[in-house]
Amino acid sequence: MTGRRRSFWSNVAAVAYKEASLVRHDKALLATVFAQPVMMFLLMGFALSNKPADVRWAVLDQSNTTLSRRLVQEIQATGYFVTPRPVWSHEAGRQLLLQGDALAFLVIPKDFRRNVERGRPQVQVLVDGSDPLQAARVGAYIGEVVARFDLPHAAGAVAGASRPPLAVSAAGPVDMRQRFWFNPTLLDRTFFLAALAGMLLTNLCMSVTSGGLVAERESGTYEQMLALPTTPIELVLGKLVPYVGLSYAVFLFATIAPGVVFGLWPHGSWLALILVTLPFVLASLAVGVFVSTLAHTSAQSVFITVFFILPSFVLSGVMFPYQFMPRGVREVGGLFPLRWYQIALRRIIERGAGLVDVAGPLLALIVLFAVILSAIRWRMKPRLG
Amino acid sequence: MSTPIIRAHGLTRRFGDFTAVDNLSIEVLPGTIFAFLGANGSGKSTTIRMLIGLLRPTAGTIEVDGIDVIKRPRKVRDHIGYMGQKVSLYAGLSLRENVEFYAGLYDLSARQLAQRWGALRERFALGDTENEKAEDLPAGVRQRAGLALSTLHQPRVLFLDEPTAGVDVHNRELFWELIQDEAQAGVTAFVTTHFLEEVDYCDWVCFIDAGRLIANAAPETLRQRHSEGCRIRVVLPVEEQARCAEVLSAVGRPLGCDATSLQVAVAALDPQVLAALDAAAAVCPQAEIHIEQTHMTDVFRRVLAESGAAI
Amino acid sequence: MNWRRLRTLIRREILATFRDPFTMTILVTVPLAALLVFGFVLSTEVKGLRLGVVDAARSSASRRLIAELGAKGTFVPQPFNTRAALEAALVAGNISAAIVIPPDFDRDLRAAGVARERPQVQVIYDGGEATLAGNAEGFLRTLIANTSAAVLADDGVGAGRGIEVVTRALFNPTLDGTPFMVSGTFGFVLSFLTVLITAVSIVTEKITGTFEQLQVTPATSLEILLGKILPMGAVFALDVVLMVLVAGLVLHVWPRGSVVFFVLVSSFYVLVSLGLGLIISATSATAAEAVQKSVLFSIPLVQLSGFAFPIRSMPRFVQWIAEVFPATHYIRVSRAIYMRGEGPITLLPELALLLLFGILLVGYALRTIEARR
Repeated sequence: MTGRRRSFWSNVAAVAYKEASLVRHDKALLATVFAQPVMMFLLMGFALSNKPADVRWAVLDQSNTTLSRRLVQEIQATGYFVTPRPVWSHEAGRQLLLQGDALAFLVIPKDFRRNVERGRPQVQVLVDGSDPLQAARVGAYIGEVVARFDLPHAAGAVAGASRPPLAVSAAGPVDMRQRFWFNPTLLDRTFFLAALAGMLLTNLCMSVTSGGLVAERESGTYEQMLALPTTPIELVLGKLVPYVGLSYAVFLFATIAPGVVFGLWPHGSWLALILVTLPFVLASLAVGVFVSTLAHTSAQSVFITVFFILPSFVLSGVMFPYQFMPRGVREVGGLFPLRWYQIALRRIIERGAGLVDVAGPLLALIVLFAVILSAIRWRMKPRLG
Repeated sequence: MSTPIIRAHGLTRRFGDFTAVDNLSIEVLPGTIFAFLGANGSGKSTTIRMLIGLLRPTAGTIEVDGIDVIKRPRKVRDHIGYMGQKVSLYAGLSLRENVEFYAGLYDLSARQLAQRWGALRERFALGDTENEKAEDLPAGVRQRAGLALSTLHQPRVLFLDEPTAGVDVHNRELFWELIQDEAQAGVTAFVTTHFLEEVDYCDWVCFIDAGRLIANAAPETLRQRHSEGCRIRVVLPVEEQARCAEVLSAVGRPLGCDATSLQVAVAALDPQVLAALDAAAAVCPQAEIHIEQTHMTDVFRRVLAESGAAI
Repeated sequence: MNWRRLRTLIRREILATFRDPFTMTILVTVPLAALLVFGFVLSTEVKGLRLGVVDAARSSASRRLIAELGAKGTFVPQPFNTRAALEAALVAGNISAAIVIPPDFDRDLRAAGVARERPQVQVIYDGGEATLAGNAEGFLRTLIANTSAAVLADDGVGAGRGIEVVTRALFNPTLDGTPFMVSGTFGFVLSFLTVLITAVSIVTEKITGTFEQLQVTPATSLEILLGKILPMGAVFALDVVLMVLVAGLVLHVWPRGSVVFFVLVSSFYVLVSLGLGLIISATSATAAEAVQKSVLFSIPLVQLSGFAFPIRSMPRFVQWIAEVFPATHYIRVSRAIYMRGEGPITLLPELALLLLFGILLVGYALRTIEARR
């Protein structure tokens, strides 16, 4: 019994060694391994953000009083907006929106000042709904400033007098104290970089293995391999082992780089991180192997892989919140290992969770790995029969 | 003495530090089959690609059918046909569709095509497989199809780069017959190969090694220079031997004999020897004449050794 | 330029493409899959967001506030008894936001403005999901402010409202994320898929030797180039039409502007992308390498082109890089046509830029086709 087990592992080791030497000579692969992570890190860390910035907007200030001008200034003071473009008609403002030259258009009516005194001031905001995310946020920012706007009331406010120490003059009836846990300034960067390991590993694992087996099939060494006294499981595991090592190297980069460059170190348990990475890597590698059993040429396999990576990225929640996706779509996203991994990653890195807290995702990943492994076995069986 | 249809002088090609072709000069006469031999990596493909205008030489001049290939590579394309190492048939298209494709590129009229392809199809035995997908054609058929396509537009010169690679011996023989037919019709064939035995199908051969020309002559000449000559065995019954021996003695070499045959060793199959053999055949019609020549491999090896020593 | 040769080349390309089942499958399924996947991805609609609530007041005002929050299904209030339980749920990621209503909420609210502190409501967001939190923030603040004001108004304790702001969205009034993503998907597919397929196709031809053979025929480089990109361009144009139909019929997103104009512009952009594919193929030895290069190049292209992330939110320097990608301009144009119904006149500058890109890329691609000399 022990003898057989020993043979199993030595077979795995033999296949692994051969695979590793192949990897060392695969220039294209190595380029991917080094170039992609750096590129994605730079993108996620420095470039990508959902926060509106340099928002172009227009103002039709029909009132043109100190009050209205102050309102405009306060909106601009939020820092999200550039200097507004003054327009002199509704049509002009709409035109700017129509041409995509402005995201928002604020209209302050002529009797603004009087309405303030009467206690019923109103302004209008028109936003370009093309990019709804930006529109919603920009609208909210303006709305918030307007709601907070410090109004001098007819009853009791004298220009220049000290402000009443209380409520009415400040924002709305409720004082909202707002905090963003785990990400106080609500940096999108934190959100993206937390899942960086997931994105890089998905790319790596799937591209790598899907190329491997098919290339062997093309060059004819596949049949040779099948003739060896190894079982399919030994073959598969042996192939995967060197890539696991490579994956951990990439994982370390993805976890350490944000820390070094942006100070974004994981708040939770490193052990949990390392442990939960393993089934994810195995599952992703296995998917790659499975894809390679489907393809006949290496070009085909790379194609298929790429088009598996894409929905994986989109539906798993690494870049777009999965919570808001329609019911069916959300569930489909759950079939991708990346979904569970990014949940675990964000929980550990951003929210400081421990191993126990990510037991759910960990289990899901193990189950996925097992399922894919059996799918591979099923595909490879007829060939070895 | 006709003018050479291919003339290359001082042809050199360097890739960085590596010299693939070094000061090569050759001349090919029209209507001949010119074999360009060398091991893999010796510079054969580089040379042929320069000759057809795909690659610019670092130095030297090339003239094909009177056209300066270096200055006007496009002009030469109508005059030449090319068959690359991998027979370039488009997968997904049938053989016929491939033919129509190339006919379109060479601007053959419908009538011209019908005539030309009709003849080629017949001669090259491609009629059965005309409508098959290119990727389904067996290797021998592919080679013949490649040759047919290269000569579709009736060019004066054919450049064939290792045309018989991957083809079995029988199909190779058929293929060479076809090339020889083309040569008979006046087409010049420039063929690269690394199958040394194929040299005997050709009128001229040049060996290339590490980018340098190490032999440039007719196959017979090379044999003569670099081998121990041929052994001729005339198989015939003892009774006839005497009569034959008389005729054969014209060769001027000692004759050996045994129960079944007469043997003689000659330096080469020069006209004198061939005349004697003809006479012997006339005198003894039932005689079987077997000629054992030195294998071209040995000839090549000797050429190589000699040039190696020279260097 | 010999028209017969060009026709011959085009015919062959079309025959070969339509007969390759794998390519045809990719050409049809990928754009459709991309549409469907991306169409559902971006939702600014905050819906069903789990909101943890610790209501220390348990007053009519506070209950009303909570009810209002959950009214339209925007938030799903989940009551918690203690603050600690709430925080644990946040850490575990079970709730995305939380509010804590102080015990004196009612009293403070009504008495506000009269020598009393305003009630302090604590709102905590799960910043771990930044995008989510950002979207939720706008909704939550507005809802709370409006609800509280409404409560007061109903009680006749109008302590002078602030300025009322009426916000409307021109184009896409419901702020539905689908049209935005759909119009961007064209850019994604036409940038990514075109480059991929062309690169692989050319490299395969180089490997099988047919490309070299072509270079020995009388066909000129321009004819070879056009013989490749015109048929592929036509095939992708059909793809665009297919996508427009599917987006319209399945996702109910039709372009606001002219469909014909959109297809024309898209077809032109395809040619530009194909040029890029040719350039990539010239630098690749195997099909797998071509694919990897295409993917590597396409990643920043997609992220930076404004497809999913606003360009103006990027650092200045990166914005300039983004402007170098033709995809950025095409996506701008396709969004302008789809969402704002812009026409050729206002889009002229962008179109001219695309034309320039096209000439440059195709010109360079032409050079790579010239036999290596």
